[in-house]
Amino acid sequence: MKEREIRSSKSWQAALVYFTIGVLLLFNLFPVYWMFVGSVKQRGEFYTSPPVFVPKQLEWHNFSRALERGGAKGIKDSLVVAGSSAALAIVLGSLAAYSIARYRTGGDNLSFWILSIRMAPPIAGIIPIFILMRYAGLLDTYPALVLAYCLFNLPFAVWLIKGFFEDIPADIEGAALVDGFNRLQVFWRIALPLAVPALIVTGLFCFIFSWNEFLFALVLTRSRVTTLPVIISGMVGGHEIMWGEISALSVLTSLPVVILALLLQRYLVRGLTLGAMRG
Amino acid sequence: MNPGGIAPARARDLSLWTDKKLPVLFIAPVVGILLALAIGPLLFIFITSFTSWELVSMAPPQFAWFGNYANILADGRFWNAMKNTLILLVGGVGLQLVLGLATALLLNREFRLKKLVTSLFLIPITIAPVVVGFQWRVIYHESFGPLNYIIRALHLGNGFAWLADTRTALFSILAAEVWQWTPFVTVVLLAGLQSISPRVYEAANVDGATPWQVFRRVTLPLLKPTVIIVALFRVMDVFKIFDLVFLLTGGGPGSASESVSLYTYINGFRYFSMGYATALAVIQLVIVTVICMRLVKMMRVGRA
Repeated sequence: MKEREIRSSKSWQAALVYFTIGVLLLFNLFPVYWMFVGSVKQRGEFYTSPPVFVPKQLEWHNFSRALERGGAKGIKDSLVVAGSSAALAIVLGSLAAYSIARYRTGGDNLSFWILSIRMAPPIAGIIPIFILMRYAGLLDTYPALVLAYCLFNLPFAVWLIKGFFEDIPADIEGAALVDGFNRLQVFWRIALPLAVPALIVTGLFCFIFSWNEFLFALVLTRSRVTTLPVIISGMVGGHEIMWGEISALSVLTSLPVVILALLLQRYLVRGLTLGAMRG
Repeated sequence: MNPGGIAPARARDLSLWTDKKLPVLFIAPVVGILLALAIGPLLFIFITSFTSWELVSMAPPQFAWFGNYANILADGRFWNAMKNTLILLVGGVGLQLVLGLATALLLNREFRLKKLVTSLFLIPITIAPVVVGFQWRVIYHESFGPLNYIIRALHLGNGFAWLADTRTALFSILAAEVWQWTPFVTVVLLAGLQSISPRVYEAANVDGATPWQVFRRVTLPLLKPTVIIVALFRVMDVFKIFDLVFLLTGGGPGSASESVSLYTYINGFRYFSMGYATALAVIQLVIVTVICMRLVKMMRVGRA
């Protein structure tokens, strides 16, 4: 009798857990669902009450129109900027990270100084960087954004890769030094190959940050370089809001990042807390 | 093996020298770039904040002592932006912590499809804030948005002009911010929960502790450092909030939902008052530095 009571209270609990999780997921995913639905709605379906929760037919033209109205160029520019910025961050970041992890270059102060730059408010950096780029004639070019993104990608890359190098036991490298390798060879032939997964993870994070970044792109570019967030924001501010097209572009902007993030899930906590939490 | 025709002995010296200096050579590019992009600008905004510099007038900057700072302290719009930012910060981070902890405790239990559910929970974090802003604009739409439709369908009222009403604009931003970042708090706290050794719980159970006692006396104290770290990360981020405000309300109606970051942006890139904007930036930099130092201290302790 008693055992039965316990069991029924257990199943009640389980039901409650599933129910709560379901409700939370609904809240979490509804805006995402609404974005996907919006990207395949016809124009008229945005102006009805009750709103259209499930469109009768799928309007794929939103995507082609979004691509024509700057979306295609936005994807290209975002790829170029985010890609080069991520590549720069892992190349320079891995060198600095190795130096800090193995030789404690600059001690704790230097590494925490680098970290603090990542945390500084972007609005404080953007004014001088804007003026700098203006005088250098770099406004509205790829290098302006790629350089500006170094400001948060480099400190991030250094910290994350440093953590990964610290996880690799130094003994192997010590043995190689005794065997007559010089320090550069040890780094290039032993440490770096072991760190390749770490570099990929870090690069993907930097890519996501740059891909989603808005403030710097808004200030430093105008018409020659237009990343996706700036295009979306511009379309939202337009006279007649093209709901379907913007939703389609939102899907195109979000989908690659969502996929990348799911691939990175194991490292997500570590990345988002700059290595403070190992997850 | 003999680049540039250097004599073998000299080449050997050179490689010895590189070998010795390798740690410094490796770190030099990063330090150089960061000095140029961070310390240079830091000095720049500090100096500019003491000048009166209107970029549109083409007149050179003029030294203004503490003029900008005095004006800021007397600027009602600045204090309004500060108040809004603090509301977002306290309300937003508070809600994220409560909801995040509750969700983390829930996800820490055993249930079917746990991995899939956890992955689905993460999606909001990854979406660009600009996209989040646009989507919530659609959701908040006064006549055609699903939110007001649900309110009307449940006979809770007529709904609101969420983003155009002074009473609801800031709250609407807060809700979108909470939606996007609660999952972050959840996954970090979940990681914290999973790092608590099961033995601790076994010991508590042997001592006959009730579930509430276990939570209050065991889980919460052990989770405290993680809670502080995640709270500081969120505080730092929310203090800098820009994208969501820009997309959802543009700071409006009027300046009812303006954040300090947005007000600084408007001063710098709409009014082109560089002196005033940089003084605002310096103030934010000081505040963030204080929070950041606290966070860095936590991270140092965490490592030791």
